[in-house]
Amino acid sequence: MRTWKFWPALWSGKITGIILKLLGRKGTTLSGYVANRLDSGLLRQLAGSYESLIIVTGTNGKTTTANLLAAVLTAAGKQFAFNQAGANLVTGISGALLQNFNWRGRPKAQLALLEVDEATVPKFCAQATPHIAVVTNFFRDQLDRYGELDTTIRLVKDALPEQTLLILNADDPLVAYLGADRAPVCYYGIARTPESQKESRETREAKFCPRCGHTLSYELFHYGQLGLYFCCNCDFRRPIPAVEADQVRQEADGLKFKAGSGNYVTALQGYYNLYNMLAAITVARHLNIAESTIEKALQEFIPQAGRMERFSSPQGDVTLTLVKNPTGFNQVIRAVLAGGRKLRLLIAINDLAADGRDISWLWDVDFEYLGNKDKLVSQVVCSGLRAEEMALRLKYAGLAVEKLVIEHSLDKALEILLSQRKSGEDVFVLPTYTNLFPVRKLLLSRLKAGQSSVARNKVVAEK
Amino acid sequence: MKLNICHLYPDLLDLYGDRGNILTLAARCRWRGIETVIQRASLGDKLDFPQMDILFIGGGSDREQSLLVQDLLLRKDDLQAAIGDGLVVLTICGGYQLLGLYYQTADGKKIPGLGILDLWTIAGSQRMIGNVAVELQGISAATLVGFENHSGRTYLGSNLAPLGKVLAGYGNNGQDGTEGVCQGNVFGTYLHGPLLPKNPSFADLLLQKALERRGFTAKMEPLDDRIEILAHQAMLKKLLKNT
Repeated sequence: MRTWKFWPALWSGKITGIILKLLGRKGTTLSGYVANRLDSGLLRQLAGSYESLIIVTGTNGKTTTANLLAAVLTAAGKQFAFNQAGANLVTGISGALLQNFNWRGRPKAQLALLEVDEATVPKFCAQATPHIAVVTNFFRDQLDRYGELDTTIRLVKDALPEQTLLILNADDPLVAYLGADRAPVCYYGIARTPESQKESRETREAKFCPRCGHTLSYELFHYGQLGLYFCCNCDFRRPIPAVEADQVRQEADGLKFKAGSGNYVTALQGYYNLYNMLAAITVARHLNIAESTIEKALQEFIPQAGRMERFSSPQGDVTLTLVKNPTGFNQVIRAVLAGGRKLRLLIAINDLAADGRDISWLWDVDFEYLGNKDKLVSQVVCSGLRAEEMALRLKYAGLAVEKLVIEHSLDKALEILLSQRKSGEDVFVLPTYTNLFPVRKLLLSRLKAGQSSVARNKVVAEK
Repeated sequence: MKLNICHLYPDLLDLYGDRGNILTLAARCRWRGIETVIQRASLGDKLDFPQMDILFIGGGSDREQSLLVQDLLLRKDDLQAAIGDGLVVLTICGGYQLLGLYYQTADGKKIPGLGILDLWTIAGSQRMIGNVAVELQGISAATLVGFENHSGRTYLGSNLAPLGKVLAGYGNNGQDGTEGVCQGNVFGTYLHGPLLPKNPSFADLLLQKALERRGFTAKMEPLDDRIEILAHQAMLKKLLKNT
């Protein structure tokens, strides 16, 4: 049943979207905002119109998981509504769904795939009942925005409706606990990676059993708190995954692994992406998508902007990847050192709302791992609003002060990085969220400029 | 010269980069040729209070904090004796609240603290979150910068002195302009971030006090603190511009 408020909200939202599109701007959040002002119960009506509503939430990997799943759905020929580009709060979600509705108030697809910010899950579930909810992991991230991690997890646990099928990361005790004592639930996980360890030296969440508070024991750590855990005091332990990755190999051109009958060859790097793929595979199998279609879609998937994205320049590649919390950064440090070659880094730390105002998390990152390989590091250019704090962190991690440069301007920082690079060095640019798109834009323009100047030199030489 | 530094409950209280404080104390000793022994002590571990030079207790989430109160209460007498003997103690956020008489929850329940200092904390409805600048009082003319994130409002008894005066941010309770506590060699504060890396003079003050207690009265040699001071000044400038 449509309420009378629904129509003006729908139409004004759609009109706002069209105007913004004509102006050449992305309009999901603003059109969602306008429509929600006219009908605060709009999301209920929009989301309730889909036969199948799938949400993806958690701290890390929401966007990549949703994009992977979207690629699989597309390969399977399915039509679906989708909130691309991380518009994952209530307004962004409503805005994205609006665009999928026609003027007569009917959705153009039967399926909706939505990335939902973990702190928005309670608000979202108050209005909509997802058929499937994927929870990727829980890490410390942007504490100042959400209060403590415990609160977030409790709110998500309380908010997810009973009839929703939960697809959960078995290897994260904080996520697996969401599935304790309830059905329907389905798990995915990793049996072992080449770098799984018996002991962990990272700062991690969940040292204690979420059920009884006793110290958790581990047979194996994959990274962070993810691994094969069990509680000696109660019966809480890693659930048996329905989809489990095995024979995992991380090679220069990407991850390769098996899961049940599936054999996957992908261009994605990093074990965090392995989890993202497993989540997508689990949902896809639930939707009865053919195994060959899933394999093909994952193989052809191109990593999104700023997630281990490579830029070519005549002097060699530059790899750009987002950093936003300790566990993610630790994984990036390992990936950065994996080549075993000399390194030159640009780290750009901001402390705006979207980055997290509190940057104390930098001190929980295992930069000592980098400091211990000081000989491999040629230079680290520290940039962004909190450049000094980044340099300070690296000094205390054991990097020689002479190798540290503080340069607030991203443009100048990039100039230093690229002009001083030597052949044979691996170069990485590691920005927090609000630095990502500015630095990406600079990289694109600069590397284009670099190529044209080479071309010009050639012309001069030929004369 | 050797300093024994104890990080109490690092496995339970390790929110907000607390380990940065320990890294800083250890590095600043190492750069001066002072040996350090770092003990990471957890629930039930044996603690040798008379041998200890610096004790650090950080902040944690509510669940983890409630696990350790029982353990800490068992050690109260030994801790109090060591404090009487001049042990240098730095407590931050949750650790700071634990030193006091009680923590009063939102529903009026009083959870007893160690009762070592005459201070108490009352749960507030709104979290006090953001960057802070503090002017130290009494102990030095320096400023402190850091980040606070707490819902508890802490009040000091009339015979206790605060660590300093709030220049920007909330401090103890967001009302009386005080931040932290300073009683002899015992310090409490809400500033994490962590505190010591970008407040090197305060880090050195703790080390100096610990050394003096062991009879080393010579002034410590200065270090090259250019990056530390840049980080300190950058935050101070940003905060004072806004006020």
